[in-house]
Amino acid sequence: MKRTLILSTAICALLASAIYAFGDIARPKPTPVEGKTIFYTGLTVVPDSKSYEARLQISQETLKRIQAAGANNGGPASVVQGVMHSSTRTIMAGLFMFLAVSFAGVWFARSSQRRNHKAVAAVLLIAVFFGIATVIVRANAGPPGYIRWQNLPQALKDGKATSGGLNIEIVAGDENIKLIIPLRNTPKQGEE
Amino acid sequence: MERTANIPLAAWPFARPADRTRVSARLFAALLVASACVSAALASWLPLQVSIVTVFLFAGPHNWFELRYFLMRLPARMGRSRNFFAVAFAGIGVLTLGYLALPALYYTNVWSGENWPLAIATWNTLLLLWLAALVILRGRQNSSRDWSWALPAAFGLCAVNWLAPDLFSLAIVYLHPLVALWFLDRHLRRTRSEWLRTYRRCLLLLPLLMAGMFWQLSGTPSLADDNGLAWRITQHAGGQLLPNVSTHLLVSMHVFLEMLHYGVWIIALPLIGATGAIWSTKTIPLARRHGGFPKFIAAILICSLFVVAVLWMGFTVNYAATRDLYFAVAMAHVLAEAPFLLRMI
Repeated sequence: MKRTLILSTAICALLASAIYAFGDIARPKPTPVEGKTIFYTGLTVVPDSKSYEARLQISQETLKRIQAAGANNGGPASVVQGVMHSSTRTIMAGLFMFLAVSFAGVWFARSSQRRNHKAVAAVLLIAVFFGIATVIVRANAGPPGYIRWQNLPQALKDGKATSGGLNIEIVAGDENIKLIIPLRNTPKQGEE
Repeated sequence: MERTANIPLAAWPFARPADRTRVSARLFAALLVASACVSAALASWLPLQVSIVTVFLFAGPHNWFELRYFLMRLPARMGRSRNFFAVAFAGIGVLTLGYLALPALYYTNVWSGENWPLAIATWNTLLLLWLAALVILRGRQNSSRDWSWALPAAFGLCAVNWLAPDLFSLAIVYLHPLVALWFLDRHLRRTRSEWLRTYRRCLLLLPLLMAGMFWQLSGTPSLADDNGLAWRITQHAGGQLLPNVSTHLLVSMHVFLEMLHYGVWIIALPLIGATGAIWSTKTIPLARRHGGFPKFIAAILICSLFVVAVLWMGFTVNYAATRDLYFAVAMAHVLAEAPFLLRMI
């Protein structure tokens, strides 16, 4: 009994010290709020040796679109964004896709038994069409956006313009306009 | 006496049945083409104004004509169609109540706006499964049909719906007016089969007109939706869901399709006799049959006329609120078209 009491006291003391120990842990840094993309456009960085100030030139039409998108609070999320941020919708879409393919298989098998060649041929044709279309689309998929910015440092040195895609994001706070360029550190020759 | 075969027919306009048919088909085609072109021109020119006027004038009456048409197509005795109509009416009731409950639950803060797509997707899923059930039940009424493809097709559409529920609902808004053209096709096949080919040729004009509207209006600036009514109309046409598309184009396209829809129900179908004499209940099987309900059917039609009048009064007093209410309740007639169209196929 005495032994149990001492053991219990020791465990309680250990747990209490753990609380104090956790109390000394620094507060986690607030995770930076992710900016909300409201608009996609293009950006051209042009070095100008004659200018005294950096300038941001926006066409009237683009400004109108940005204003409209901003007023719309970014507008509705795209299909891809919506699905990415909603696991429920992804699961349900996947479930129904599974059911569709399963029941289509049953129907396909039954149609084959009834020698409904036209229907079978139509399904096969559609499947082949979508398959080929998918291959073509994937094969023609463009390179990732950062590729176009890889030559920016060299282009700036050479005084040449560089163009690429740009997402306009709205972030919280009152800071200066920030331009984030996706540059990848590529190993130079002889560094490997 | 001169033989009848030798009497010159040139002086008698459309004396031969074939000539009469050809001329009436031409007149029918000319009316169709003219109506479609005028509708497209008006919808493109003044989309907001035409939308307001057409909904005010025709929304109620076209529902009355649809109700009369559905009563006429309802068999006097269900017989083998009992299950089909049971599922049809249960679905219309449940889905309409569900559709009306969505905004009510939203405004009473039962769920947040973030869950809105889930609610819409759920409702769309129920709609698709109900349609699949109707198609399968209808297919079973004829042993030569195998309409079991409806289930995988419905599941496939459900998957698409869960990926983009808002866009799926918008697709229903644009596709629903086209269902009226399908009804007209079915009726011409039954009653004026000689016009069917002409009608189908005229239908080819529809994608051309839509492509022309797209070409003309895609570059136009969006409509000024600075007042509540204009905002409602642009939102109904998908202005928020398709921010990169001019709302002028969206509203024009929607108004054009709605005008065709109203034209078919109010003018075309009654003209070819699909709805029978509108003042007579004798063409309605439920009223005509032995032991039927002629007074009840007449009461329904008369009460519906009062509802149309009340709708006009509502539009006059508060157009925007009445329009919102109408488009919510009108989901019932959108749903009711499905089983009656299936009965025609």
